Amino acid sequence: MALLDVSNLNVEFPTRHGTLHALRDVSFTLDKGERLGIVGESGAGKSLAAFAIINLLSKPGRISGGTITFEGQDLTAMDTDALRSIRGNRISMIFQDPMMTLNPVLTIGTQMVETLQAHRRISHAEAKRIAIAKLREVTIPSPEERFDSYPHELSGGMRQRVVIAIALLTDPSIIIADEPTTALDVTIQAEIMALMLDLCETHDVGLILITHDLGVVSEVTQRVNVMYAGRVIETGSTRDIIDAPKHPYTRGLIAALPQQNEAAQRLNQIPGSMPSLDGIPPGCAFNPRCPHVGERCRREIPALRALGEQQVACHSAEEVAALAGNGGSAS
Amino acid sequence: MTGPRETLVGITDVVKHFAGGGNVLKREKRKVHAVNGVTLAIRQGESFCLVGESGCGKSTLARTVIGLNAPTAGTITYRGQRIDDLTPKAMAPYRRRMQMVFQNPYASLNPRMTVQTILEEPIRFHFPRLSRAEVKAKVEEVMLSVGNDPHWGSRYPHEFSGGQRQRISIARALMVDPEFVVADEPISALDVSIQAQVLNVMMDARDQRDLTYLFITHDLSVVEHFGSRVGVMYLGTVCELAETKALFANPRHPYTQILLAAIPRLDASGFRHTRLAGEVPTAMDLPSGCVFHPRCPHANARCKAEIPALKDQPDGTAIACHGIEEGRI
Amino acid sequence: MTAPRMMALRAFLASDFIYRFRRDKVALVSFLVLLAFVLAGLLAPVLAPFDPYDPASIDIMNSEIPPVWTDGATDPQFLLGTDAQGRDMLSTILYGTRISLTIGIFAVMLQMVLGISIGLLSGYVGGRVDAFFMRLADIQLSLSTLMVAIVALAVFQAAFGTELYSDLAIFMLIMVIGIAEWPQYARTIRASVLAEKHKEYVDAARVIGLGPGRIMVRHVLPNTLSPLLVISTVQVANAIISEAALSFLGLGMPVTKPSLGSLINSGFEFIFSGSWWITLIPSVVLVVLILTINLLGDWLRDVLNPKLYKG
Repeated sequence: MALLDVSNLNVEFPTRHGTLHALRDVSFTLDKGERLGIVGESGAGKSLAAFAIINLLSKPGRISGGTITFEGQDLTAMDTDALRSIRGNRISMIFQDPMMTLNPVLTIGTQMVETLQAHRRISHAEAKRIAIAKLREVTIPSPEERFDSYPHELSGGMRQRVVIAIALLTDPSIIIADEPTTALDVTIQAEIMALMLDLCETHDVGLILITHDLGVVSEVTQRVNVMYAGRVIETGSTRDIIDAPKHPYTRGLIAALPQQNEAAQRLNQIPGSMPSLDGIPPGCAFNPRCPHVGERCRREIPALRALGEQQVACHSAEEVAALAGNGGSAS
Repeated sequence: MTGPRETLVGITDVVKHFAGGGNVLKREKRKVHAVNGVTLAIRQGESFCLVGESGCGKSTLARTVIGLNAPTAGTITYRGQRIDDLTPKAMAPYRRRMQMVFQNPYASLNPRMTVQTILEEPIRFHFPRLSRAEVKAKVEEVMLSVGNDPHWGSRYPHEFSGGQRQRISIARALMVDPEFVVADEPISALDVSIQAQVLNVMMDARDQRDLTYLFITHDLSVVEHFGSRVGVMYLGTVCELAETKALFANPRHPYTQILLAAIPRLDASGFRHTRLAGEVPTAMDLPSGCVFHPRCPHANARCKAEIPALKDQPDGTAIACHGIEEGRI
Repeated sequence: MTAPRMMALRAFLASDFIYRFRRDKVALVSFLVLLAFVLAGLLAPVLAPFDPYDPASIDIMNSEIPPVWTDGATDPQFLLGTDAQGRDMLSTILYGTRISLTIGIFAVMLQMVLGISIGLLSGYVGGRVDAFFMRLADIQLSLSTLMVAIVALAVFQAAFGTELYSDLAIFMLIMVIGIAEWPQYARTIRASVLAEKHKEYVDAARVIGLGPGRIMVRHVLPNTLSPLLVISTVQVANAIISEAALSFLGLGMPVTKPSLGSLINSGFEFIFSGSWWITLIPSVVLVVLILTINLLGDWLRDVLNPKLYKG
């Protein structure tokens, strides 16, 4: 059985203009030590999917259907206390902004010891020993000194390392990382990502990496969910999807990357933009932007179905898959 | 992009310092050395890209070129005429020829103005004689040319998506038919599928209007696509200057090599590339000698002591590195 | 022209602002009460059964008649009784509300004009101009409004005599309260300007070549106005209180043209002789007026909270 099994997850936001369905029938699994990418553009619902797992949805959002099974327990049926023993303990979170995790008025040492003592009955000295060991593990130079530093005394890259160390403190089985390197420079991003990759492998920790960057997904993850307007539209092994995308959106997204285009030529672009939650068109949400759109796409919402090694939610997936080999234009 | 062209914008020994940080406890005022002696020539018709990581001074340099900052030292010339010390009145004709596109499309359009007002403002200011109908026709023409619906005029910026706003912002810059456009990270706040749209609009404008660009970005993969020449900046200095093709085929400076290797690639896995050592210094306390030496795998005693000059190489590139000069790298 | 106006009106009525207003009972009631006050003030000459400014209509024999619902009431035409000079309390309160509101609103308008100009200039130009005005504001704030007003009004009264003073009292009060409180506005505007002036749309205006004056007025100012609505409500309440306090001290409106404050003052000496209504009724009116304005201001602040509200 999978370590984490998200099944038909629905999240909605009641507003006075009606209910917005932010996530629709999102299903995925994560095995022990597996690295899963959730990729999509802003508004696709990728962060929401992760927040829903640990019930960190901001009000008035709520889970309106589906189950989240973690180590055999359904998280959606759990009370707050029970959930707290899992969140930050068995499942850790890394945010884009390290200051979401770090309290600016406390030293990083205090925060690490507090985190540990919240979940385990151990002495201060023991907690400090573990904390320093974790700081060393995330390659922070002279961790004994850094233990007494305040977050503002560290650079952005160092702070994100500290956040990773905090996430690892309780030896979680899953780390959810929401755009962990988006705010960082490319060279720092490469270091942090390499570090996370190493740590996940050595500790056999599962990773859910939420990102908009297909390059990062390709370098880090084994499987990937592509999301669009609140649904998973394509899922499968990262290599398969990047090499031979079968959904026209995934295909368009990859084709639009500068590194996929001839130098100094116009880029392949996807026309239009992602609909907002209150303006999702009937049928397939991608149909107004899709080059393969047909009558059926405007009527009927495509279900996720198996096609070769991956699963794809598209009526014309076979047609798109046939294009995959020849690298033709998607626009 | 054929043959050597005339220099349009000349940047000579430009230095820009800001009175910096310091806090209540530490009284001493520290200076932020944002740009430290940069010399560049942007040629007519080219798309010159300045690339570097946050804090390298690329945006400061761009703002200095366009006249939003006065340089602490050094000069900016436009077609040979010095423009950094002009009075606002004398500057007016250059304002029309130089325009700017900003990074954040959510902040660069005044939220209290309609799109029509935003677009009309520059043209009414520079061409007060134009009739209402002429102004309107111009707005329509430019909006169409950037792929926007010309009937958006009566709406407010918040009604549009990021990509649409950025195209409105580009339209505003093009309203006065400029020759030279500074684009400061124009696509970095946008989604991937929208980045391509905006980049295409900018490339179309270049081809139709014979624009010269100074394009600021942190993303080298965009440079490969957009730029004809590239300057790589690190902590306020240019460390490598080359034709785009040459830079990507053969990156010379150690920093350029690391920057190129750090780009996440679709065909790679594991981020198993060169790793940099050490912390990134800040522009508040610059390292001695070559500013890159604390992170450079090839640094030696000379790198720590002596600042390398940007030297022309036989292949037409220019590099500031002792190691390359000595043939060590 | 009317079609777009109607559209704008319809959009406004459908907006979150109106929606939240309708759902908040406190705000709704406060607004209605305030509206009643404003209408009562505006229509005082029509509504009031007597003209308290007309000596011919006043009979000293009618003095200190209690309100109609009390035992001692002798004359049913004086709904709320009469004051020591025999004026009808209801009419006097209606006129008093009119004067109090007039002073409150015009004083705040003067504060706004001063505060906005100084704050805008200070924030946008910065440097020495900023330092000068902000130190001036510090000095002004360290002296309480009432103290400044008392000194200014007392000097004026002494210099020009009570006669001329009672004619000009309303202008003097507006001037004094208006000038004494500009720093509130100046500081608020300056803070907003400092936040706005580094935004890219201001840079864009500079790149076009617009001059600083035009950028300040056309680009920066419209984006700094929403916090003003909130402080304006509170400031109107404060101005009315200041005026009442000054009048109570005998430095405000003369007894012949009473505001709520001078009414309270005029009845104060009779409160222990049993004529409580002369002081108490205008006091209640003043308290209710101030309370509704403040409640409305609180609600506005919640709705327009810049952290929650993205305009």
